[in-house]
Amino acid sequence: MKKIVLGAGSGYAPSNPMQAVKLIEEGNVDYLGFDQLAELTMSIMAINKSRDPTQGYVSGHIIDGMKLILPRAYERGIKMITNGGGVNCEEAANQVIKIAKESGLTKLKVAIVRGDDVLGRLASCQEKGWKFRNLDTGEENIDRIKDNIVAANAYIGSDAIIGALEAGADVVIAGRCSDNALFVAPIMYEFGWKFEEKYTSLIGAAVTIGHVIECADFNCGFGSVVWEKVPKPWDIGYPLAEVYEDGTAIIGKAPGTGGLVNEWNIKAQLVYEVHDPNNYLMPDGIADMTAVHVEDLGNDRVRLTNMTGKPRPDTLKVQIGYRVGYLAETLTIVPAPKALTKARRVEEFGWRRLADRGLKRGDVEVQVDFIGVNSLLKSVVPIPDEDNINEIGVRVAAKAKTAREAQALAAAFSDASPVGTGFSAPHRPRAVIALWPTLIPREDVPVDFIMKEA
Amino acid sequence: MSKVLLKDLAYARSGDKGDISNVGIMAFNKDNYEILKKQVTPEMVKAHYKGLVKGEVKVYEMQNINSLEIVMYNALGGGATNTLRWDETGKAMCQGMLYMEIDVPKGFKLAPPP
Repeated sequence: MKKIVLGAGSGYAPSNPMQAVKLIEEGNVDYLGFDQLAELTMSIMAINKSRDPTQGYVSGHIIDGMKLILPRAYERGIKMITNGGGVNCEEAANQVIKIAKESGLTKLKVAIVRGDDVLGRLASCQEKGWKFRNLDTGEENIDRIKDNIVAANAYIGSDAIIGALEAGADVVIAGRCSDNALFVAPIMYEFGWKFEEKYTSLIGAAVTIGHVIECADFNCGFGSVVWEKVPKPWDIGYPLAEVYEDGTAIIGKAPGTGGLVNEWNIKAQLVYEVHDPNNYLMPDGIADMTAVHVEDLGNDRVRLTNMTGKPRPDTLKVQIGYRVGYLAETLTIVPAPKALTKARRVEEFGWRRLADRGLKRGDVEVQVDFIGVNSLLKSVVPIPDEDNINEIGVRVAAKAKTAREAQALAAAFSDASPVGTGFSAPHRPRAVIALWPTLIPREDVPVDFIMKEA
Repeated sequence: MSKVLLKDLAYARSGDKGDISNVGIMAFNKDNYEILKKQVTPEMVKAHYKGLVKGEVKVYEMQNINSLEIVMYNALGGGATNTLRWDETGKAMCQGMLYMEIDVPKGFKLAPPP
């Protein structure tokens, strides 16, 4: 039975290119997929590009990473698909071609996927009556935020990547394609699966496999629920998937690397950010995570069978990023004795000072956390007795329309400190981007690719 | 009945999409899963998070891997990077889940974490 081997060369940014190199040199992979984007990344890169038109891609990956990875992948004929092109795939491709030339590689074909940027399409869709309702909050339309929008990108699927592979691309550079498509595309291309009814279950399997390995080293023991049992955690390898034409797969990792691929790490992927597991919505298909069988084969191999799904949806998810002001943070550390009492005094004084300025608790966006006590989970977990606490970080976060206002809110808490308090240099306030998740009709997001050659 | 903590019965991992937090609970075995399935209800989960979760809670069953998928709306203070929380993406939400009290039959033998 035909089999292809996909490796996940990164699962987020920044990633470790040496682990991608190990997949190339030891993992016998045919393809490498690189996920480099979190939900917010496109907005941040759009702002960077607006300041400098040569920015807007993930340079750590595209430049520093590819210098190590590209010559080795080229030598073995391994094809690579990345979404590290961000909002400037064109410039990312130029950089890859430059690296190819410097490394003496010839006839390298680099494809650029286009179409995910829908900022320019919002208005025409609205004219047709499409409202871009917020999927999280239910808010009906984007009128309230429209003057503050910095980016709008659709999570596009595999279509253009498959097209680029058919045209012989060695490297495919995309922007906001789904993380999933980085793996679904080569599977569909290699096995000849089309977006037709008879392939629905198989594509469901591809979506599931992509979902499992897209987080890279999380499959192999990074952030693991069994973290104490993970061997050589300082050298956790990146995963690979042996994918078979019958829609089954074995998840493994680069030989010789640290880490652990076992049923718990793979199950943790199957429950990760899927929401309704019966209907895991991706642009290429809807996977059913409640069907898959997970079988731990030992020796860092886990088999996935019985995967299925439903046809791809008629809409694509869009993330609209918009500015909502500035966030300032301060951190002071109060020591024992009576660390908790001291921390509470800092908080009380801060609120009193704000009250003296006429600012009431419900009117300002300020949060006070006691690091070491409740900064992650508030009172969900038990609060320790203060005799058992050596020190507490009092962290204040404040959000306001301007950086100056945010800073002033946070500062109200930082100079009210009791004896022995440790200070550090304050952080600069940062711009806050909020996300507006919504949908767009698939037909309004035409995608294509262009090819360049080194 | 006696009381244990969820961490005696399962592992958990959390993630985020915008202001939605999800916690996957992976029971150590089928018996543990059956107990959790009955007691980890949307109402229990919402009460457990004591105000951290402001919106609706949904619980999905994943019998195939003895797991529950919990989806919590309006749960991250606005989501990354709009939230005031340190844990912008709610990676620690799963660890809070582990402290939920669960009833088990008297004499129930706890399996060690696999």
